[in-house]
Amino acid sequence: MRTGFQSTFQTAIAVAKMEWRLEWRQGHQLASVALFAVASVYVAFQSSDHETSTGAWTAMLWLVYLFSGFTAVGRLFDRERTATRQYLRWTVEPLGLILGKLAHAILTTTGLTALVLATFVLFLGWPSGLEQAGKPGLLVLGAWLGGLSVTTTLVFVTAVASQVQSAGAALSAVLGLPLLLPQIILVTRLTRGALLGTPWNTLGELPLFLAALSVGTSILACILFPYIWRA
Amino acid sequence: MNSWNSVWKIGGIVLLAYVIVRGFSTPLQPGLVEASPTRLSPGKATVSLSAVGQPFLRDQETLEDFQLVLRSEEGLLKTQVLDISEHRVTASVNIPTVLPSPALDAFLFTPSSGTLFLGNAFFVENAAEGIIPAGFVAPAPDEAAPLLGFSFPYQPNIMESIRNLLWHVPMWFAMFFVMGIGFVASLAQLRTGQVNWDHRAEAAVRTGLVFGVLGLVTGSLWARWTWGAWWVSDPQLNGALVTVLLYSGYMILRAAMDDDERVGRLSAVYNVFAFIMLVVLLMVLPRYTESLHPGKDGNPGFNSYDLDNSLRAVFYPAVIGWGALCYWIYSLRLRMNRIEHHLLTQ
Repeated sequence: MRTGFQSTFQTAIAVAKMEWRLEWRQGHQLASVALFAVASVYVAFQSSDHETSTGAWTAMLWLVYLFSGFTAVGRLFDRERTATRQYLRWTVEPLGLILGKLAHAILTTTGLTALVLATFVLFLGWPSGLEQAGKPGLLVLGAWLGGLSVTTTLVFVTAVASQVQSAGAALSAVLGLPLLLPQIILVTRLTRGALLGTPWNTLGELPLFLAALSVGTSILACILFPYIWRA
Repeated sequence: MNSWNSVWKIGGIVLLAYVIVRGFSTPLQPGLVEASPTRLSPGKATVSLSAVGQPFLRDQETLEDFQLVLRSEEGLLKTQVLDISEHRVTASVNIPTVLPSPALDAFLFTPSSGTLFLGNAFFVENAAEGIIPAGFVAPAPDEAAPLLGFSFPYQPNIMESIRNLLWHVPMWFAMFFVMGIGFVASLAQLRTGQVNWDHRAEAAVRTGLVFGVLGLVTGSLWARWTWGAWWVSDPQLNGALVTVLLYSGYMILRAAMDDDERVGRLSAVYNVFAFIMLVVLLMVLPRYTESLHPGKDGNPGFNSYDLDNSLRAVFYPAVIGWGALCYWIYSLRLRMNRIEHHLLTQ
């Protein structure tokens, strides 16, 4: 096993590639996440009365996103419960592994944001009283940044939960939901602002804070992951 | 060493006993709460104002010692005090047809309780805008220095519930104190891997959770009284609730594992992450939500002007007393953890 910055970076890329390749090979997993997201959007569409206020629209969007995120990221460490784990423990350094998983989470976020936003707008349209989003670019950027801060936190939580043999999916949710509240509060504010076209000067710091939160949780996950991984 | 151990415990209990007795027996300073009638028209009228707190009328004080003045923007309007009883003052006032503003603030100058104020006490209908005519203007009265003795300050809306300050606030302080111990213990646990540190972290979080729940309950009661709702969306309250949820998650995570080494390692990792996120939550989010809670911007905390010397004399002992009680509970729990571990590994 080589060490040093370059080797960590190569490990990260190798892990991310492996994850991605496995996702494509086991197509049913990707499909199940997509199906979950679209079905949730359709449930939101059916349960609203087509006069959705901006607040309700934002709340439903982020509920759908949050639970799709749990489905997508929640199984990120499933393979490492089995013999693969033993193999990886001996061959891969933990920092490279978590960086690879985080890189994979960025890809997941991008796909999920595109899918959820597109189907949400397709089915529900814009909130009542709005012809269209006030700042569509900011809406997409905010959703991606918010999604990223959600998935990076979930990567950490899933890593912890995956070490608990008896844990079901509920443990990730119990550990994760309180940790995700700051992100959700910030991103719903940003989404509402983007929908209503609130001026930049009142929103300017929000995307920065979301980005900083993603970076911060990622760094914290990188520092703490070796302790999770060690056994 | 042993004697010091009983000194701080007994000292803490004595302080709490003092806080409970003093906190409930100290009178509240008087404050005006209500005016009637609230709507007036130009011409002669009789108005009355009621007050809460200790009576502003004392023995050997007469009507002449009191003066009620109404203020309309910068202009002062004179009144004639007709009657004073313990918690009520009645006065007759002659309202001119022109006033700088239809909203009148009331100032009651008392000989021994200082000046009592009620903003927007009356509203005058059908008055033209202008300067108060000369015959109606009151001279600026002399303000007597209040001789209130040991009493808690009157705050509109908060009133008697100001005593909750001695419970609610120190409970949160105590919680942050032991959660801090837990954070340091978790860091040490990750560095050394010794189970001793895990015992400390568990005891700290468990004790902190008890105080966190007590803080939520006392806060919720207070919110119901002052803001009219058991719960509102507010950064301070979000932070408080998330704290309790996060650390409940910590307890659940511990309960889901059997093997000591794994429990210690994983719960320490989670605790470190949770504590840092909590700091972010409490520092970043308040910038994005208007807060009703004291201590946030646009809403000064108690220490800026209302935490007067009487309240301080009870509040600081309360902080020390609750802190000592919390640390005592923590140390008992720590001993239990150690004994349990000892018995199980023998």
